[in-house]
Amino acid sequence: MTVQTERPPSGPVDVAKRDESGPAGPRPRAASRAAALTPYLLLLPACAATVLLLGWPLLKDVLLSFQNLNMAQLIQHVTEWNGIDNYKEVLTGEDFWRVTLRSILFTAVNVVLIMILGALVGLLLARLGKRMRVMLLIGLVLAWAMPVVAATTVYQWLFAQRFGVVNWVLDKLGWHSMADYSWTSSQMSTFFVVTVLIVWMSIPFVAINLYAATTTIPGELYEAASLDGAGAWKSFTTVTLPFLRPFLYATTFLEIIWVFKAFVQVFTINGGGPDRLTEILPVYAYIEGVGNQHYGMGAAIAVLTILILLGLTAYYLRIVLKQEEEEV
Amino acid sequence: MKRKLISAIGVAGMMISLAACGGDNGDGGDKAGADGYAGETLTVWVMDGSSPDQWQKDVAAAFEKQTKAKVKFEVQQWNGIQQKLTTALSEENPPDVFEIGNTQTPAYAKTGGLADLADLKTEIGADWTESLNESSIYDGKQYAAPWYFANRVVLYNKKIWAEAGIKDTPKTRDEFYADLKTIGEKTDAEPIYLPGQNWYHFVGLTIGEGAELVKKDGDKYVSNLADPKVAAAMETYKKFQALSKAPKDKDEATPQQGEVFGKGNVGAFIGMGWEAGIAIEANKKIEKEIGYFTIPGATADKPEGVFLGGSNLAVAAGSKKQELAKEFLKIALSDKYEGELAKLNGVIPNKESLQSNLKGNVVAEAAAPAAAGGGTTPLIPEWAAVENAPNPIKTYMTAVLNGKSPAEAAAQVEDEFNKRLAQQQ
Repeated sequence: MTVQTERPPSGPVDVAKRDESGPAGPRPRAASRAAALTPYLLLLPACAATVLLLGWPLLKDVLLSFQNLNMAQLIQHVTEWNGIDNYKEVLTGEDFWRVTLRSILFTAVNVVLIMILGALVGLLLARLGKRMRVMLLIGLVLAWAMPVVAATTVYQWLFAQRFGVVNWVLDKLGWHSMADYSWTSSQMSTFFVVTVLIVWMSIPFVAINLYAATTTIPGELYEAASLDGAGAWKSFTTVTLPFLRPFLYATTFLEIIWVFKAFVQVFTINGGGPDRLTEILPVYAYIEGVGNQHYGMGAAIAVLTILILLGLTAYYLRIVLKQEEEEV
Repeated sequence: MKRKLISAIGVAGMMISLAACGGDNGDGGDKAGADGYAGETLTVWVMDGSSPDQWQKDVAAAFEKQTKAKVKFEVQQWNGIQQKLTTALSEENPPDVFEIGNTQTPAYAKTGGLADLADLKTEIGADWTESLNESSIYDGKQYAAPWYFANRVVLYNKKIWAEAGIKDTPKTRDEFYADLKTIGEKTDAEPIYLPGQNWYHFVGLTIGEGAELVKKDGDKYVSNLADPKVAAAMETYKKFQALSKAPKDKDEATPQQGEVFGKGNVGAFIGMGWEAGIAIEANKKIEKEIGYFTIPGATADKPEGVFLGGSNLAVAAGSKKQELAKEFLKIALSDKYEGELAKLNGVIPNKESLQSNLKGNVVAEAAAPAAAGGGTTPLIPEWAAVENAPNPIKTYMTAVLNGKSPAEAAAQVEDEFNKRLAQQQ
């Protein structure tokens, strides 16, 4: 149950509840009108906040993406519309497509690792005794509660070339060529560090959700399964998994979004380097936009990023909406 | 099963929050300073390490005495300064006066963010050294005032050099290399700390070779990194870098090379004189061990080429305190305080007549011989974009240090370099 309420803004949650309270029984007319208005009034603050904090920046971003906005224009506050020039330049350039492909692969690898490891930890939580479970939960929550920049800084220290713990340990273990290894010197080693960081930070969310989901499975089902002669594996695939499926869907897609826009981790570890080889879409948008002071171009990349993410998650939205229709 | 719909909407919400990342160009400023209050306060941005506390205190006192207004110094870091400055200049309350690197000045002059200082030049700038004032002039107009200039020297640990049995400081590049080798052999110390991306030193080497980083192609500038002279400069850099354990993909500020040197196990590093302060702050005991010498060139009669770094002071065109800002410049750049800055920091002042302040300053005496052969990156508005991270010249350096030939590395970064030089303004 916790799955849906953990991360999204609170607004949409209210939206869905509205339908249920709508068709109430017969009432006096005036009172019913007031009653009909109440939910909308209650919705207002959440909607206003959403429009203000998300809608407005989104609109600004779209507007910026049709402008030629560089140092001079920004400083002098002049607006130079340039139509779809920014989009043309981005979409015809080779860079954008390379970065897009890289972003998708990066997201795929991370999400697969997060889901597998997170699910395993979640199932472990369900099996542990009370004391160990509390210990593990505390550990998970601490990892989860760590601010992103703080966690990234710690990882930078861990993987530092000269005085990093990781290199020191590898050296002590007899792997002497790692003593002065620069983790940020190549594309793959940088991605390795970023991936370890992101997976580490994401496991708690998945694990706690899945643990919560397993608590909703009635124990009788396992009894029935064992009476029918199901082994551990069989009862896992026939009882546990079907119950967990909706939770797995929801968490997977939340993780896709979360990893896809993991700007802070990638940017802080190595600034998208070496040689711009670890830039994913949000980092690319930042470096082209803010870094190169080409703000209109950055905005165009950001808009395209949202469209790509919409495309990636459209499949999920579709199956969810379809199920919804069937069940109504 | 409403919760599926809920989560679907949640997913959509998360995606939209992406927009907040892309569209944020830093509105909603955070300007400090009590603007518009009785007893005005002038905000002045100075770069990290450029002006000593003593100087700031003295100038502030003189300024307050003369104008009854207060001055607030805010120290900025070089990394990422352009983005910060652009944003600040676009805001309601920009810093009134700010320090700006000489290589960055033309680009900002072109944006219209800098106030015209023609009258200041007439009033106090008649005897500014012409070559130092060059970067402040764009399109025939005076957009900034030259403040100070400096070039890199070798800072060395006397104790380690004595331990290696070296008696005199080197006079040629080969001697320098041989000395560092000796240190490597005879002591436990790292002979030199030279990270792979100390690009200011690399620019100095290219100047020493007589190479240009960009060339004209028709009416636009393009990369000239493929020039064999640039390659020769890079080979020199590589030879010395091989003696260092410093990371090949980091610049001199990450970690601060002064801090590494301060640990006392490094023979030398190439840096600004004031970086000694960083070392001393990290380790008080290192103070008496630090020595300075001119970066030796190929032959004894001519020191190595150096990047003549420098800073100008500019007034924001958007500042509401134009007059007060000019009053500040008149005081800060007066012979008294310009001389004090030269004396305290060992930097080259903006007038020939103030050079006497450098007498007896060990840093300045080590730096001075090379200054004559110093140069800058091209003083064109297009240049500023090149310095934005990831700086293609730094990429070039790391590529060569990691085994690519200079020609290959030049080809690798050429597209990026040209793109930045051609960037729409």
